[in-house]
Amino acid sequence: MNQMTNVKADRPAPMLRVDNLTHRVRLETDTLTILQGVSLEINRGESVAIVGRSGSGKTTLLGLLAGLDTPSDGTVELDGAMISQLSEDERAKLRAHRVGFVFQSFQLLPALSALENVMLPLELAGSEAPEDRARELLERVGLGERLNHSPRQLSGGEQQRVAIARAFASDPAILFADEPTGNLDNRTGQSVSDLLMELNREQGTTLVMVTHDEHLAARCSRQFHIEAGVLTEPSAVEELTH
Amino acid sequence: MAAARKLMSVRRDWRERDVRVVLVALIIAVATVATIALFAAQLQRTLVSSASSFLAADRQLEAENGREIPPDWLTEAQSRGLETGRMVEFSTMVFGAGGFQLVSVKAVSDEYPLRGQIETQAAPEQPRELVRSGPPPGEVWINPRLLRLLELEIGDSLEVGNRNLKVSSLLVREPDGGFRLSALAPRVMMHVDDVTSTGVIQEGSRVEYVYLFAGDDTVIEDYYQWLEPRLEPSHEWEGVRDGETFSRSLERAERFLLLGGSLAVLLAAVAVAVASRQYALAQRDTVALLKTLGVRSRGIGRLYLRRLVLWGVTGVVGGLMVALPLFWLLTRLLSEVLERPVEFHLSPQALIPALLTALVSLFAFAYPPIRRLRDVPAMRVLRSQPGEAGRGALTDAAIAILAVFGLVWLYAGEISLVVSLLAGLALLLGALGLLGWLLVALLRKVRGGGNAWRLALVGLYRHRRASLSQMAVFAMTLMLAATLVLVRTSLLNDWQAQLPENAPNHFLINIAPDAVEEVGAFWQERGQPLNQLYPMVRGRLTELNGEPVKEAVSKDERIGALNRELNLTWMSALPEDNEIVQGQWFGQGDVDGVSVEAELAEKLGLALGDRLTFTIGSEKVTEPVTSIRTVQWDSMKPNFYMAFPPDGGLTDMPATWITSFYLPSDEKTALNAFSRSFPTISVLEIDHIIDRIQQIVRQVTQAIEAILALILAAALVVMAAVVSATLHDRQREGALLRTLGGRQSLLVRSTMLEFALLGGFAGVLGVAAAEVAVWALQFRMFEGSFSWHWQVVLPVPLISALVLAFFGRWQLRPVLNVSPMLLLRRLE
Ligand SMILES: Nc1ncnc2c1ncn2[C@@H]1O[C@H](COP(=O)(O)OP(=O)(O)OP(=O)(O)O)[C@@H](O)[C@H]1O
Ligand SMILES: [Mg+2]
Repeated sequence: MNQMTNVKADRPAPMLRVDNLTHRVRLETDTLTILQGVSLEINRGESVAIVGRSGSGKTTLLGLLAGLDTPSDGTVELDGAMISQLSEDERAKLRAHRVGFVFQSFQLLPALSALENVMLPLELAGSEAPEDRARELLERVGLGERLNHSPRQLSGGEQQRVAIARAFASDPAILFADEPTGNLDNRTGQSVSDLLMELNREQGTTLVMVTHDEHLAARCSRQFHIEAGVLTEPSAVEELTH
Repeated sequence: MAAARKLMSVRRDWRERDVRVVLVALIIAVATVATIALFAAQLQRTLVSSASSFLAADRQLEAENGREIPPDWLTEAQSRGLETGRMVEFSTMVFGAGGFQLVSVKAVSDEYPLRGQIETQAAPEQPRELVRSGPPPGEVWINPRLLRLLELEIGDSLEVGNRNLKVSSLLVREPDGGFRLSALAPRVMMHVDDVTSTGVIQEGSRVEYVYLFAGDDTVIEDYYQWLEPRLEPSHEWEGVRDGETFSRSLERAERFLLLGGSLAVLLAAVAVAVASRQYALAQRDTVALLKTLGVRSRGIGRLYLRRLVLWGVTGVVGGLMVALPLFWLLTRLLSEVLERPVEFHLSPQALIPALLTALVSLFAFAYPPIRRLRDVPAMRVLRSQPGEAGRGALTDAAIAILAVFGLVWLYAGEISLVVSLLAGLALLLGALGLLGWLLVALLRKVRGGGNAWRLALVGLYRHRRASLSQMAVFAMTLMLAATLVLVRTSLLNDWQAQLPENAPNHFLINIAPDAVEEVGAFWQERGQPLNQLYPMVRGRLTELNGEPVKEAVSKDERIGALNRELNLTWMSALPEDNEIVQGQWFGQGDVDGVSVEAELAEKLGLALGDRLTFTIGSEKVTEPVTSIRTVQWDSMKPNFYMAFPPDGGLTDMPATWITSFYLPSDEKTALNAFSRSFPTISVLEIDHIIDRIQQIVRQVTQAIEAILALILAAALVVMAAVVSATLHDRQREGALLRTLGGRQSLLVRSTMLEFALLGGFAGVLGVAAAEVAVWALQFRMFEGSFSWHWQVVLPVPLISALVLAFFGRWQLRPVLNVSPMLLLRRLE
């Protein structure tokens, strides 16, 4: 079903285009290559899963794709913008308007209430009525009753739902999720991933997700494997035969 | 347990920011308090010894009853290791080639002076010399005026009673001359062993025996304990501190030092409290982990208690290591100011307050939150427990406030100090409460946006709990620092006002009415105009409401003024520095009544309308008390116990005139010409006293500046402690904001604005509270007058806003210029 993507001719500009991405970090004694020659293209509206073992470089890749970091080599083109050519402030602006995040460890601010946490990206994007939109989103993720609770008072699943509401708040064109269910039990993980997929469909967002969860990965339109910093995309046919 | 113990090692501790703050605060507290205490003790000793020369001893015992004291009083003093000396003072007629003259004799023993030096001259126009003892038996030293009055030459003999004594030197200045105006007759100094053979002293003569004592302070105090029950009402034990001129300057300086020390204690306590609370919060995870590993509450309590003790030892040792060199430096400074060596003296008692400070800071401030670590549930490892942070803060605060004010009280010994500071603090907390309410009410509706201002306001609102407690600490710190600066300023101003640059330093006494004009012209010609001239009539207060005054006043009141002749005057205008406390000053054309100095009026139990009778020569004058006024005895101007209206009770009484004026030291030779032209006029030189006081003021000022610097350093540590308390949260927030697309510049501007607002508010509150505290202190302790201090009111909030803005900027440093990815990894 993804064969269309291999035909380069009449395709619209992809949401994300990565070419020969390499990332190294300098350690005390030598340099460590975390990612090696990664190339991929992701179209608008696609949902993509990246799977791989712990330490294989998934989070690093996601950060580079989202413009949270700049690669040692290669290019990332996000929504038509070459990330490595942007200044830090331009990247910030891009993040504020086009990108959403869901982190493995939620990353909610303990000083703020659930509502305020969701309002944060709206405020940064200079949105008109941040509170109404945040309220609406929290109701959508089923936390309409917990608006003024602090993250400490919420369970892990609830916290992640707040984080999802926050990620969708600024109406992002692309959403990055780093093991969104990794810290949750099966059933809670299930409901959180349901929510994520639903919202993704409703909003027409492009989704790039790192996960261990086979079921969740299977619900995405494409899957990539990463091993020791090398990315491969098993063909859809191979996938079917497995 | 080995691993657990490793978790507890102090070396490891040092790497934790909160522990560093606790230790630095402790070290500064101990250092400040120890330095102040050591230096205050040193200053005290130095000041007393430099002021002691005004008594020619550390203490004087005066017997005004004309009888010598029992000899065993002196032997007792000597057996205790005190130095002693003896003087006899009386008036008598002396005879020389040119006639006779009433003189005031001071006969001294070999030991005189125990402190200070005598200034002499071998002959007129010869250089002045400083010597350490009086004339030997058979010789006299005389006032230069007597040479002319009696037409004597150096080497001639002077007839004193039955003896002829050789005039061997001129007496220019005696250390204990003071400026008592009663010493009107020219001075003759002789040896005390010659007194009996002159035969001048008869039964009933007016003689004053004065005994001098010098030695270690504690020994003197012990001796006085022994002596006091033996003293009679006519005996007066006089120390420098009772003297009129110095007592106030000394007391104020000492109080200032104590105030400074107390504030240092408060500041350090705040820093320790904030940092250790933060530390305890941060330790909860470790404790929970230890508990899951099976360590029991009791074991945890013990582990942390041991750590606290280690901190205490580190703080005390570190503090003393800072204090001792600092103290040594200050002592050096002192000896430079004094231009003479100052003995470096370490008094162990002075270290007690420092130890107590460390102990109280640790156990009242650091211990409560740390003790509560025992109760951290092991469950915390799995899930943080809501509402933990705020629990017990109130009890902690109550214990801490009580403890620290107890400490200040103990330290400064002034309940009024404690009350003033408490009043300032109460105001501060009240205002903070109000501000908190306003913050919630006004900012609730503000919503953030791309705008730094709105983000800053939202930040203030969202962090209102942290913001308010930070503001409380900042405001308190600023209040304490501002209080100190204000008190210092007003103290220095008061001193300055009391002794301006050209304060009168010479008195002219005994000016005959017909010489007044000529004398004025003499000094006018030399460019040294005279201050106001006052008439002076000598008289004794003899009756109170028709009753002899000695009977009217209770026997055990020893009132020097009743035994001496008083200087009476008349004047139309109230001197500027006098103040009416009861009744009314003479109106235009009033001729009745007398105005009495307030302290004397109180001692005599006088009320308005009481009738006072004065005996002046052979005449009696009776007038009702119409007003009671205070007098600035240390103003270096002529001051009078009793003032009459012009054309009042003193009209037609034999008066001479008195005045004071300023004579620069390089013009002093004019005095010789003056004495030649006006041989009967006494010149009282007090320039050396004024120099001395100014010197003391300079030393104290230097000390005050040094201590102020120390305390401001303590204030900075407190600020750093408080700011670093929220460091982690702030950085995490900054990192997340950047991930969510906040621009760096927006982050920087909104954070700086938020902190500037915080600092500005804290500044305003702190200054307001400081004004209240100073107002109270001024009233209770420093007797100054209160006025707003614009020079502090305006800049402090501005400066604190600026400083905090940059603190905020500095906090953000690690969050900027680093990729958000790395931040998230770091903060995970
Ligand atoms: N800044 C860095 N410095 C040193 N090593 C790093 C850095 N960033 C990543 N690494 C290393 O690179 C490798 C990949 O890290 P990454 O976090 O991308 O793995 P991951 O696939 O997300 O693993 P997990 O599933 O456990 O989250 C790891 O071995 C990690 O230790
Ligand atoms: Mg990862």
